[in-house]
Amino acid sequence: MGERPSGHGVPGRAGVHPDGSALETALAAALRGSVLDPAAEQHAVAAFRTAYEARTQRARTRRRYVGRPPAPGRARRPVKTALGVVCASIALGGAAVAAIGSVGPSAEGDSPKSAHPSPVAPDRSAGGTAPASPHSRGPTQQPGTAKDTEAHCRAYEQSGNRGKALEATAWQRLVAAAGGRDKVASYCSERLARATVEPGKQGDQGKQGVGAADSVRGNQQKSAGAAATRPGGTGSASENAGGGGGKAEEKDK
Amino acid sequence: MDPVQTRTVLGQVRRPRREQASDGELGDAVARAQDGDETAFAIAYRMVQPGLLGYLWGLVGDEAEDVASDTWLEIARDLGRFKGDGAGFRGWTAVIARHRALDHLRRRRARPRPGRIEDHVLEMPGVHVTDEQALEALSTEQALELVLGLPSDQAEAVLLRVVVGLDGPAAARVLGKRPGAVRTAAHRGLKRLGRQLGVGREQGRV
Repeated sequence: MGERPSGHGVPGRAGVHPDGSALETALAAALRGSVLDPAAEQHAVAAFRTAYEARTQRARTRRRYVGRPPAPGRARRPVKTALGVVCASIALGGAAVAAIGSVGPSAEGDSPKSAHPSPVAPDRSAGGTAPASPHSRGPTQQPGTAKDTEAHCRAYEQSGNRGKALEATAWQRLVAAAGGRDKVASYCSERLARATVEPGKQGDQGKQGVGAADSVRGNQQKSAGAAATRPGGTGSASENAGGGGGKAEEKDK
Repeated sequence: MDPVQTRTVLGQVRRPRREQASDGELGDAVARAQDGDETAFAIAYRMVQPGLLGYLWGLVGDEAEDVASDTWLEIARDLGRFKGDGAGFRGWTAVIARHRALDHLRRRRARPRPGRIEDHVLEMPGVHVTDEQALEALSTEQALELVLGLPSDQAEAVLLRVVVGLDGPAAARVLGKRPGAVRTAAHRGLKRLGRQLGVGREQGRV
């Protein structure tokens, strides 16, 4: 096996001699397949095509069914997550505000302070959030409950004049209540000042003549307002999701 | 397709044994084929198939084409797992070809093996003209008979080095032997062939 070739210290690569390489050239020329069968080539290429398709198919299937939790999975989840967050916030917000409207009338007789603080109406006003009587329609200047109006006003101040807040139906009502769009600011500051200074008297003012229907409408507005005041959160989440999804699709290709 | 193929084939056939020049091109074709490029796969096929066929002629004789076909099925199937350059691809395909050939020989073990070694020993009349004429006149059949007349380890080493175009270490990997042993076998085989063809006498020792 390991004997030295003929004791010459022969170079490792055979064929460095002129005659040797001529011999090798001649052998190669004689022995290499000189005529290739086109059918054999097509057969090989067809096998290649099939194998390649099967391979990519397999890779796709593996990704789809087994999945890889951390990296590629996350690329798709944010879409659903973001949608879920948006839906949940709308639904929860709606339920909370609707609960205020519905709890209010029943709690009126027992305790005017039993209303749950809504996420939109902070605690400092919760003490004064006596619900409105659902039966007494108030004058058109004050279509909402005191609490709703305050909430509208706070949202108005928070959002400034940006976004779609002022186009929402409830904002139209607030504008109508204030007597004009340009009067909303002063109307609100007056309402909020009164609410802050005389929280206890809020419930007694009796100007509120709105029922659950208005609360629900207000609720819609609040949801819109809420969405408008934090577009960064949901917006960026879905952007990330879109980006991730795009990357995943690129990988598929 | 045909003109291209013909040109490639002629170029391949007339090219000296060293394949290094085309290894870069082969490596590119293989890389593109791994990305799904059919044309690139066909290019790689045309570059590799002549050498594989010659090697398989030496191993299985007339059934080389069938075994080569099986070999390419396996190459196509496993191409996604191959890692390496053009020279590495030659070696990898030679390993596959060898395995398929050995399977083939095992399957037909009962029958005699017409293509292989020892059967044709030194039935080479009339080649003793002059060196150049001998080499130029060397036909495929004659060359095959000469190579198959060598001891099998020498014959296979010569085929891998000269026909497939592998370097010593690559040929050794295909055969599962030490590079020194394969180098020795190839050298001895070539020397013996040269002697039979009347060339290479100046290497001394007959």
